[in-house]
Amino acid sequence: MLATEEAVEQMWGVTLDRLYDSEEGRRILSCIQCGTCAGTCPHGEHMQYPPRRIITMLKAGLIEEVFASDSLVMCVNCYACQSKCPRNIRLTEILLPLVKEQTIVRLPQMPPELQKAVENSYRYGNSQGESARKRALWTKTATVPIRILADDPRPVDALWFVESDLAFHPRGQDVARATARVFDALGADFAILGNEERTAGDCGRLSWEPGLSEALIDYTMSILKKYEFRRIVVSDPHAFDAFKYRYPMFGFDETVESTVSYVHRDLEKIRPRLKKRLEYTVTYHDSCCLGRHNKLFEEPRELLLAIPGIRLVEMVHTRENGLCCGGGGGGMWLDTYYKARGIERLSDRRVREALDTGADVLAIACPYEISRFEDAVKVAGAEGRLRVRDIMELLVESFGDA
Amino acid sequence: MNSNGAIRIGFYICHCGTNIAGVIDVDAVAAYAASLPGVVLSRDYKYMCSDPGQDLIAQDIREQGLNRIVVASCSPLLHERTFRGAVERGGLNPFLVHMVNIREHGSWVHEDGGLATTKAMDLVRAAVRRVVHHIPLERSRVPVHPDVLVVGGGIAGIHAALTLAAAGKKVTLVEREPSIGGHMAQFDKTFPTLDCAACILTPKMTAVKAHPNITLWTYSEVTAVKGSVGNFTVTVKRKPRYIREDLCVGCLECIDACIYKDGKFADEFNLGLSKRKPIYVPFPQAVPAVPVVDPEHCVHLKTGKCKDLCVQICAERNAFDFDQQPEFIDITVGAVILATGFTTFDAKRIPYYGYGVYPNVYTALEAERLVNASGPTGGEIVLPDGRAPASVAIVHCVGSRDADYNRWCSRVCCMYSLKLAHLIQEHTKAEIYNFYIDMRSAGKSMEEFYNRVSEEGVHLIRGRVADIYPETANGKDGHIGRVIVQAEDTLIGRIRKIPVDMVILSVGLQPQDDAEDVRRMFNISCSAGGFFLERHPKLAPVNTFTDGIYLAGACQGPKDIPDAVAQAGAAAAEALALIDAGFVELEPNTAYVMEEECSGCKSCIPLCPYSAISFAEDVLKATINAVLCKGCGTCVASCPSASIRQHLFEDAQIFSEIEGLLTHA
Ligand SMILES: Cc1cc2nc3c(=O)[nH]c(=O)nc-3n(C[C@H](O)[C@H](O)[C@H](O)COP(=O)(O)OP(=O)(O)OC[C@H]3O[C@@H](n4cnc5c(N)ncnc54)[C@H](O)[C@@H]3O)c2cc1C
Ligand code: SF4
Ligand code: SF4
Repeated sequence: MLATEEAVEQMWGVTLDRLYDSEEGRRILSCIQCGTCAGTCPHGEHMQYPPRRIITMLKAGLIEEVFASDSLVMCVNCYACQSKCPRNIRLTEILLPLVKEQTIVRLPQMPPELQKAVENSYRYGNSQGESARKRALWTKTATVPIRILADDPRPVDALWFVESDLAFHPRGQDVARATARVFDALGADFAILGNEERTAGDCGRLSWEPGLSEALIDYTMSILKKYEFRRIVVSDPHAFDAFKYRYPMFGFDETVESTVSYVHRDLEKIRPRLKKRLEYTVTYHDSCCLGRHNKLFEEPRELLLAIPGIRLVEMVHTRENGLCCGGGGGGMWLDTYYKARGIERLSDRRVREALDTGADVLAIACPYEISRFEDAVKVAGAEGRLRVRDIMELLVESFGDA
Repeated sequence: MNSNGAIRIGFYICHCGTNIAGVIDVDAVAAYAASLPGVVLSRDYKYMCSDPGQDLIAQDIREQGLNRIVVASCSPLLHERTFRGAVERGGLNPFLVHMVNIREHGSWVHEDGGLATTKAMDLVRAAVRRVVHHIPLERSRVPVHPDVLVVGGGIAGIHAALTLAAAGKKVTLVEREPSIGGHMAQFDKTFPTLDCAACILTPKMTAVKAHPNITLWTYSEVTAVKGSVGNFTVTVKRKPRYIREDLCVGCLECIDACIYKDGKFADEFNLGLSKRKPIYVPFPQAVPAVPVVDPEHCVHLKTGKCKDLCVQICAERNAFDFDQQPEFIDITVGAVILATGFTTFDAKRIPYYGYGVYPNVYTALEAERLVNASGPTGGEIVLPDGRAPASVAIVHCVGSRDADYNRWCSRVCCMYSLKLAHLIQEHTKAEIYNFYIDMRSAGKSMEEFYNRVSEEGVHLIRGRVADIYPETANGKDGHIGRVIVQAEDTLIGRIRKIPVDMVILSVGLQPQDDAEDVRRMFNISCSAGGFFLERHPKLAPVNTFTDGIYLAGACQGPKDIPDAVAQAGAAAAEALALIDAGFVELEPNTAYVMEEECSGCKSCIPLCPYSAISFAEDVLKATINAVLCKGCGTCVASCPSASIRQHLFEDAQIFSEIEGLLTHA
């Protein structure tokens, strides 16, 4: 279930003690204790208090015990529980972030990687800890011209929000360059914020202090105000989600699109460029934000199928029932924490499912997944057998002129 | 009217215990009413609807020469009939009473007693002004046609038809499928007593066929309904089965003779788990035992070129008629019982249960066919690769109790899931795992049945299944691998991942796909979920808001066989009460045309939702059939020359009422 606009409004400012003041919050009272949430949660078996038990504990006035356990550190914000809950309880949207916030505050020690990511985001505007001045560096190696608004502030059709993983991570930069080429092929009028961009701060809300994500949202909104554009096109599904659901609570009302749907809409324009046959068997991993939360299931697949030669196969867990890569909700910085507790990385599980399909390419549309899956492919000893490629990279590969 | 012709209004206000008097100052309202022009008597009483309350009115009319009555109490929906009766017993025309609703529109919805009292006074003033203009009206009576139509030949329709026939009524039973029997015909055993479904159902099916009072039309559908209570004209479409029912004796030799040696096309009755020929009977005990030819696959009907072995073998009876066309027949009936049943939830809609993806995931209805001795496997529970399962998961609540699918509890699934657990364990000795949210075993003998199956060692796991996925890929040799059923066992707080050979999805009950069309055709209403709406959930559970149309069985909501049969009996009784009364009285609140003023523009004719207006060609004026008119007032409001009026809604009445409301005390 997607949040309606009213729901989004209601969600803002809700705290645990004021939960039942809002209609969306009150819905928790309708829980039938069926356990679907716990049963579907990719980390359910490692949580002392999965969503179902959190609800009973909350009703019984024992929520402090839930905070004291680290159960919700395991939540990767994948929306699986919320999407299957037969009572449409807004678990991932409302309840779990609230509980998680309190849980993290009470941890005797913040997991160091997470701590670092928070600090970096405060200091540099990106979790990687890269210099803010280097954010636009990747454009120097792009093969098409990329307009940076600070240098050329003319109005633009599509303001492309690149986000940190594409800007800084070497594999992310490959995707950024590929995306730029696809935009260019579309004949799109686009520009980026360049060094003015900071992370949109979605995972912040879910795993760190809310103050950080508020500061980041304030900052981004103030920068966006400087420029004229018709839409924001977002590559990172987490940032896309933030713009769609979090930012409106702060008065943001711009048109937001994900890169995937932006390109999909004008697919016919680039279809003639897709000349080179790619004889790959491809399996596509649904990112939780793009898929389960925003229902973009067909568009990415149609982009892949537009490439001549590609054969699409599905993993066992797919679409609505996709399996999270484990990177959401701060999971990106919790791998060590999970490992210390003997929890298998979800990316390892997911890559095994991909390998089971016999595919030679694992297609993705979320920058978290590249690094996570490429590492998992190594762990599985499947290097050379399974390659991880963003949809944009595959499109460019099919242009055949690189 | 008394001798000097003056208006003498009696006013009565009801306390309704504390329902009204707890909020509204009834004494004050009574005193106020007494001060209004025309009111000669004003009383309050604890329960106006009680016998003494009614007697009070009748007595006052006689003793005080009252000629108009206003009762301030509850909704006219509940007691207008009561007070009209009281007035009539007092010797007045029953339409000289008017009710004011100060409960549903007053005490129940207002918290401020002072304001509620003022509002009650305003409403009373309006009613007093209105009632002055009431005139005596006569109810007309129309005779009721004694025949009954029953739509749907499941257990509910069968039982209703047999009951009516036993009472000597002529019944037409219309069933869409080639045989009657409905869902029950597909089951092997029935909970809670585990009696064989066929053994208890087929005698009733044959009785339908044999009963001289029942006309059975299978493979038929209602396509149009006209008229109203007592006189419905119903058009029934009889689809061609290409075999004449009057000549066929049901020897079924034609099926053996067909050029197709074996079945080739998905068998609907077995839900595609077996194949049938282009000529078939759905199941051995089908009633009527007359085969059907499927025009999509019959070689004769498709190409005209077939050896026609079937026709040859039937030479003596000569029952074949490949030229048969759909036949439309009009019948007239006084009452209709709808017993169109339910359909099951489409399990494919829940992608994470893998129905239609993994070959060992079945629906409960398919499982019913598998355990049935006359089913596709002769009663063997086997996987598509021929093996018997060593472990079976039964998933409750599929599509039910779910805001994304059907919100309601389907009521029978817990019990039929336990039934299937028992039967499959009995047939295969497999380990059975029932995953349930809440075990619902209300009803006679149900809890005992639950107890029995528990003691048989079925694993009952409290948790809704969250995911079903293969343990390993299916073997190339056709071997079907196990699937893992994953759920939280909420009672131990652990995630269980149980590998099983077979999964059965206990799909819920939902309205038939065409329920909306049927609803519109018979002009009845549906509840939120799409099941047909009863007139009152407790007190009129088989009536609808359309007089003369009754409901029986699962078309009104999920229910088990005992309840479906009980409801069918009740619907038959209601129909009998209507028919045996012989006539229906019509409310006189109908519209009528002032002939001298009608310009004959015909604009009202298409507007009438009940087709009650026709055009009298001789005088070139519109005329309204009072029997068909429901008093909706559409034509009254629309007539450009204001030449249509309506009893009980005359201009003088409405305007005085409005003036009364707007004139402050
Ligand atoms: C898997 C399963 C197992 C069950 N097991 C049991 C059990 O063991 N014991 C028990 O008590 N209950 C059981 N039930 C419930 C039982 O099926 C119902 O109580 C019963 O079938 C209701 O009967 P019905 O006549 O109202 O509806 P149905 O059985 O659905 O019959 C309706 C009939 O109307 C016909 N029809 C529909 N629309 C039209 C139309 N427009 N025109 C003409 N004809 C039409 C249909 O073809 C059908 O023949 C089970 C249900 C399921 C799904
Ligand atoms: S899935 Fe929803 S209804 Fe079921 S236990 Fe979880 S929160 Fe409650
Ligand atoms: S959002 Fe995902 S990870 Fe978090 S509790 Fe729900 S299912 Fe588990």
